[in-house]
Amino acid sequence: MSNAYLTYAAKRLGQAVVVILLAYVFTFVVVSILPGDPITSVLRNPQNGFSEEEIAEIIAAQGLDKPVLVQLWHALSGFVTGDLGMSMRSNRPVSTLIAEVLPSTLILAGAGLAVALLLAMLVAYGTRFVPKKYGQGLLRGFPSLFLSVPNFVIGLVLIHLFGFQLGLFRVINPDSFWATLFAAVALGIPVSSQIAEVLIANLDKEAEQEYAAVARSRGIGQLKLFVSHLLKPASLPVVTVIALTIGELLGGSLITETVFGRTGVGSLVQRSVSTQDLPVLQAIVSLGAVVFVLVNLIADLLYPLLDPRVKILGGSKRRPTTSDEPSIGSAKAVNP
Amino acid sequence: MSLVSNTSLTSGQRRDRLAAFRVPVTVALSFAVIAIVIAWSLAPQFFTTHSPVVGVPADKLLGPSLSHWFGTDHLGRDLYTRVVYGTASSVSSALVAVVIGVLFGGLIGLLAGFLGGWVDVVFARLVDVLLSIPKFLLAVIVVTAIGFETINAAIATGVSAIAFFARVTRSEVIKTRQATFVEASFLSGGSRWYILTRHVLPNASRSVLPLAVLQFGESILIIASLAFLGYGDPPPASDWGLLISIGKDYLKWPWLVYAPAFVTIVTVLSVNRISRWLRKTD
Repeated sequence: MSNAYLTYAAKRLGQAVVVILLAYVFTFVVVSILPGDPITSVLRNPQNGFSEEEIAEIIAAQGLDKPVLVQLWHALSGFVTGDLGMSMRSNRPVSTLIAEVLPSTLILAGAGLAVALLLAMLVAYGTRFVPKKYGQGLLRGFPSLFLSVPNFVIGLVLIHLFGFQLGLFRVINPDSFWATLFAAVALGIPVSSQIAEVLIANLDKEAEQEYAAVARSRGIGQLKLFVSHLLKPASLPVVTVIALTIGELLGGSLITETVFGRTGVGSLVQRSVSTQDLPVLQAIVSLGAVVFVLVNLIADLLYPLLDPRVKILGGSKRRPTTSDEPSIGSAKAVNP
Repeated sequence: MSLVSNTSLTSGQRRDRLAAFRVPVTVALSFAVIAIVIAWSLAPQFFTTHSPVVGVPADKLLGPSLSHWFGTDHLGRDLYTRVVYGTASSVSSALVAVVIGVLFGGLIGLLAGFLGGWVDVVFARLVDVLLSIPKFLLAVIVVTAIGFETINAAIATGVSAIAFFARVTRSEVIKTRQATFVEASFLSGGSRWYILTRHVLPNASRSVLPLAVLQFGESILIIASLAFLGYGDPPPASDWGLLISIGKDYLKWPWLVYAPAFVTIVTVLSVNRISRWLRKTD
């Protein structure tokens, strides 16, 4: 824990807070440019049966009669103190609505990440052991294939094969073990592509390093070389890549939940989109940004501790920023 | 010479010609796929005799056959015809998305990288904010804000790609700006504008091109996902994502999902293969 590290950590933390606040403002702006007047169209919808006084009350309670800047200020100060406002449809706090569906989505996203990691490791480590003659090229083509298949297609294929044909799970019971597992597979396969690509690129790079050549000249076996020399340095950068895939996991769970009929944050988003429940949408999108920024912050802070070869660039000339960190990972992924 | 038959000679020649162009077989195949897709979207009526909207109710839910390559749907419409007619909107909307992402992202990256200073700081924060919102969620709220239509889904997808292109262009511009030949050009009296258009832009665009192609494939997928969720044009439009979404209610007749999914995947795979090839030949 050197001084440079602490300054770096403090700077990164400050940046993260700024980005989160700006992300909230950004979503507020996008959501408030909605065409027409969805607020009154929701409230005056005869199906809801609000009387004029009730409508006036709700408008006053949500602060919808105030200027946009005042509304933004209220929303932002509520957001900072953890108050996400009230849903416009169900008249319940947004935080309760989200808390109800969050566990299901966390399970799905966690399982999806596990599947993605497992698959990526199988493919990437496999390229070290499958000889060129016996399909190494095929294995190397996997990440590109995974990237090209939309996750709703994987989900539908899994439902068709394992749900309809083999009868392993029922679509009616989406929280059963098998249904969750297959949903996680559908979510994880596209995510694994990025991780696998970075792993493969790193393994190739490490295998060409001098220390690997030295180890080989000492007569070390392929397996031993891999386990004790290549595995760790090649796998560490994955920490940063995993953090970057969090966004994809969140976005992907929206579709996966729809396909598998699960109740979760994704289905809540869908419901809020169709009913134009703006406070809920605003809250979920900005919470998505919070999760993404925090996970990346943790990854960035952890990484220098895990890999001592990484030097913190201190001084005023060049600060490491959020804009640098991901590009390290994606540059590797894009340009192996 | 007499032992070599005519056919092997011509195929050998063809291989030589391909080798001269340095186009691997898979890349040539990919270009063929893209050519078909473009043809489908430009002139769908030449590729099928059925109607994409009016079906024959007696022929509903038929399996794939010679007269109906991909089978028929629940209204007796020929699915192959629906896929062909849906190509234009699926593919051209992805193009719109890429153009938006590259133009706006490129402009931001160019200004940030070339001007530096406070412009760079402001744009860097903007890009951080855009990147912090999960891409697909960003596309969903943008399309919610501007309305459920395929063209709006394309705009939303483009908006979610701006940050990525801004970052890539910025780093390319900075890399080029520090190159010796730019310094030389500046010392021999080149103006900023001249350097920008003559040196920085061509160099940056060279590395942006493969990424734009890659983004084209990704945009097809994101727009298909948005259409799948019902945020694109409503039926009787036949965007690929929408076709898959309709098919999911008829899983007993799986070709309704598999056929449009197959076309989508093959198209995106081809686009990705071309992107990889462009990057390698660069």
